Amino acid sequence: MLEKFNQLSFIIGAFFMLVAIVLLGGYLISDDMKQNINLYTGIGLLIFGLFMIKIKASE
Amino acid sequence: MKLQIADYLIISIYFLFVIAVGFIIKKRIKSSNDFLSSGRNIPLWITSLAFISANLGAQEVLGMVASGAKYGIMTVHFYWIGAIFAMVFLGVFMMPFYYGSKARSVPEYLFLRFDEKTRALNAITFAVMTIFSSGISLYALAKLLEVILHWNFDLCIWAAAGIVMAYTFLGGLTSAVYNEVLQFFLIVLGLSPLVIVALQDAGGWESIRTNLQPQLTHTWKYMGHADDNPMGIQFMSLIFGLGFVMSFGYWCTDFLVVQRAMIAKNMSAAQRTPIVAAIPKLFMPLVVVLPGVIAITLMQPALQSKGFSIPSDANGQLDYTMALPALISHYYPSGLLGLGITALIASFMSGMAGNVTAFNSVFTFDIYQSYFVKNKSDKHYLMVGKLITLVGILLSIGTAYIASSYNNINDFLQLVFSFVNGPLFATFLLGMFWKRTTGHGAFWGLMAGTIAAAITHGLTIAEGKGGWISPMFEIKSGMGQAFIVASFSWIANFFSTILISLATKPKPDEALRGLVYSLTEKVKAEEQKWYLKAAPLGLILLIITIILNIIFF
Repeated sequence: MLEKFNQLSFIIGAFFMLVAIVLLGGYLISDDMKQNINLYTGIGLLIFGLFMIKIKASE
Repeated sequence: MKLQIADYLIISIYFLFVIAVGFIIKKRIKSSNDFLSSGRNIPLWITSLAFISANLGAQEVLGMVASGAKYGIMTVHFYWIGAIFAMVFLGVFMMPFYYGSKARSVPEYLFLRFDEKTRALNAITFAVMTIFSSGISLYALAKLLEVILHWNFDLCIWAAAGIVMAYTFLGGLTSAVYNEVLQFFLIVLGLSPLVIVALQDAGGWESIRTNLQPQLTHTWKYMGHADDNPMGIQFMSLIFGLGFVMSFGYWCTDFLVVQRAMIAKNMSAAQRTPIVAAIPKLFMPLVVVLPGVIAITLMQPALQSKGFSIPSDANGQLDYTMALPALISHYYPSGLLGLGITALIASFMSGMAGNVTAFNSVFTFDIYQSYFVKNKSDKHYLMVGKLITLVGILLSIGTAYIASSYNNINDFLQLVFSFVNGPLFATFLLGMFWKRTTGHGAFWGLMAGTIAAAITHGLTIAEGKGGWISPMFEIKSGMGQAFIVASFSWIANFFSTILISLATKPKPDEALRGLVYSLTEKVKAEEQKWYLKAAPLGLILLIITIILNIIFF
């Protein structure tokens, strides 16, 4: 698992997944963050994060 | 603008990741080349995104949004006439010399092609400029965070510099490049939702066209006469001044960006780096110009009910630089606000780290190793490279405080940079494509170009600036003045270099192989498939660029 952090695509994917979790988690539990733009952006970033983690970019 | 826990959390995650990248890369650093040149071992997709990201600093993001608000869609000329053509030219024609000569830096290429004094002139001016650019970037970040979030100015300076220092000191150029790629995605993905929601609120592109003056929604239609468009410049001045002199001067000779292509794995990847980078660059106006156009649309009488406004400065004029922060503040709720602020911070840090890594390469290779301590062990130069990174950061902090003390120093420095950079492309063009060009011609041509730039600036006045010799010619915008100054400096350099070269002795042909077009064996494409070759890819990009110019004519 730790070795994957040597891959830039994995680092970028992990970063955006964490940001997506913050946005989606906030949407679910906070009234301030319960806005569609947070939901849609969170979903978009989650998909992008997963994509970056999955692709086998040559490094 | 007030941040909540989620916003701070996103900013903290970003800081954590950029420093973590430094620690991860640290294990790979074994030599001075690893630290300062990435050992020429970086894959194409990373070099390409780093190439574009090195230019995606604060000036690009905030400045282009500001220009979009001030000049409208004409701002896309920086991309569709400026950057794309220059990037394709760099990839197809110039990279074979930069990469093939095995030079570790642009000043080193000048040494190989011309002589020691031309390298020294370029290395010293470049080193000074990178430190000032880095410091100004740091100052602008701290100032922005102080104004919009009321954070402590000193704390912002030291914290931002500390984070950039951590990852550049640990992992050198590779670490900076990896973080630039992360910053690229962060800026694009962090600002894209803003464009979508603001565009929707403004009523879409049709509404923008209806509500704005037509001069702000056409790229070429009003360029027939200087008085007809907001930039105050005629199309020929734009094509020559921006499209040729300034853009080619920046994209083809500035080591900050060229360095990203020079660290590619092989010649084919080095050539394709700027061309692949040109693909996202082509569409970058959607993220950095369109928000400015939307911002000014939202301030038109028909859309005032939307409640958006760009703040005014101390003189009561619209402060266009604040257009992007104002949009973020207006449209982003908690959560996305953190992402938007992180994108802004990333753009500043990207600009600063790019400058610092270019500075330490040039200082170590072209100044320290060339003039002070030669023939030492690689371990010695690795240590010096790391030390220079620290020195570069400290000098940037010093420059940031100087910038905070003198209101006009930023404008003054940008002006001096344009005097030095404007003529540079003429030197490279002649050096690479005319074997008769001599070292004396190159050196004195550069001097003549810089002097011509200063004189032109002294004789023209725009928005109260310039005219310090005699304000003989008035130009409508500062941007238009910059194009004209650059044009004259380029012409002066070009002809001075030719005349002096003809009067001085050239290097023998043997010494110029691999450095000059006519004496270098043509590069045989390593890639067999046409869509992996630099020239066809470049041609397709140019066709798309021309089509975009026609669509938004």
